[in-house]
Amino acid sequence: MSDQPRWSGAELLAKASAPVAVIADPAVADRIADLLPWPAYDHFDDLPDDVATLVAVGGGVLLDALKIARLDRRPTLRLVAVASLWGSGAEASPVALSLDGERKVVRMEPGLLPDARAVLPTLADGLPARLARFGCGDAWSHALEGALSPLGDESVAADGAALMADMLTAGLTPSPQWFDLSARACALQARASVGLVHGIAHTLEGPLRADEPNFGWGHARLCATFCWPVLHLNAHINDKWARLAQTHRLDRAAVEATLLALFEPAAYDRALPRLETLWTRVLRDPLSRTNSALVRRGHLAHFVDRPFL
Amino acid sequence: MTESQTAAGASDNRERLADLLIDVFLLEPDEFRFDLKREEIETWDSLGVVAMAVGVQETFGYHFTPEEAMGIGGVADIIHLLTDKGIAF
Repeated sequence: MSDQPRWSGAELLAKASAPVAVIADPAVADRIADLLPWPAYDHFDDLPDDVATLVAVGGGVLLDALKIARLDRRPTLRLVAVASLWGSGAEASPVALSLDGERKVVRMEPGLLPDARAVLPTLADGLPARLARFGCGDAWSHALEGALSPLGDESVAADGAALMADMLTAGLTPSPQWFDLSARACALQARASVGLVHGIAHTLEGPLRADEPNFGWGHARLCATFCWPVLHLNAHINDKWARLAQTHRLDRAAVEATLLALFEPAAYDRALPRLETLWTRVLRDPLSRTNSALVRRGHLAHFVDRPFL
Repeated sequence: MTESQTAAGASDNRERLADLLIDVFLLEPDEFRFDLKREEIETWDSLGVVAMAVGVQETFGYHFTPEEAMGIGGVADIIHLLTDKGIAF
């Protein structure tokens, strides 16, 4: 398990080493200004030289950008990450993604892990249910792919099964408990790997955004939509999923029903043509190559024929 | 098992292994040879080792230890290891 401290809002106020500065996603900046007493800045370059702690509040893109900036440019700066939405788990991960044109670049270094993460439950209030579901899909895909990873050991499988049991009780509606569930899921996959769901999401996200800038394509939405089709494929190829559920007494039917509920037919229909044309790229994606089952050329037919519906 | 059945099984296994490795390492069918070495295949990197181990388990039911998987230097080594486990080639 990660040794990264997890702070409540009160602990954040008490423990953050002064001087403290805040960078918050514009979507939550006003609420953060009411919650945190420290000066806020728009960009990393704006931070005064004497700042000792940066409190970063946002989604995966902002948190990853600030993790990279801190490591590369001010490694002595303490970084406390606060997720404004669950899913990416960036606040609890030593992995950071950045964009090089259309291509996602993955970095993984211990120095990218924030010094602490804090949870501000009120940020769950008013979250659009749609975004919350996408975030749940991202967290579910981290948990499943981490627990079943060929790079994980029995402790990862056991922790993953326990996490999924907790996730089942949380449902798919906006709830502050998803901040911690999402962080646990991300920390779990960091001990092993992810798989084909993430290989598909990483490959398709850029091209789909370019195709349809206004559809709301994003990593979490793709994870939510492809989690069930991929688990169905994996379960057809080998018995790892069945054995995991049986060994750890995980309610397999309930998990599968949850993933089916996350499946978004309209998004799937729009993504499928791109999946067909980019299938070779999906197969070559490093994340697909650590899938729990070997992904083969002929498996594209599974996505086209949809036996999972 | 008769000699002819063993021969047929060996032939099937060679075909299954070829099909598997073509998919694991994303080769064109005419690029595959049974004397291919690891250094000749660009995609036989650390992730390729993971994918190969997963595929061998799914296809032949044997799970390479990490030491075995990392020590494989070519297709012939895979055949040698699987033969040692009683799988005919």
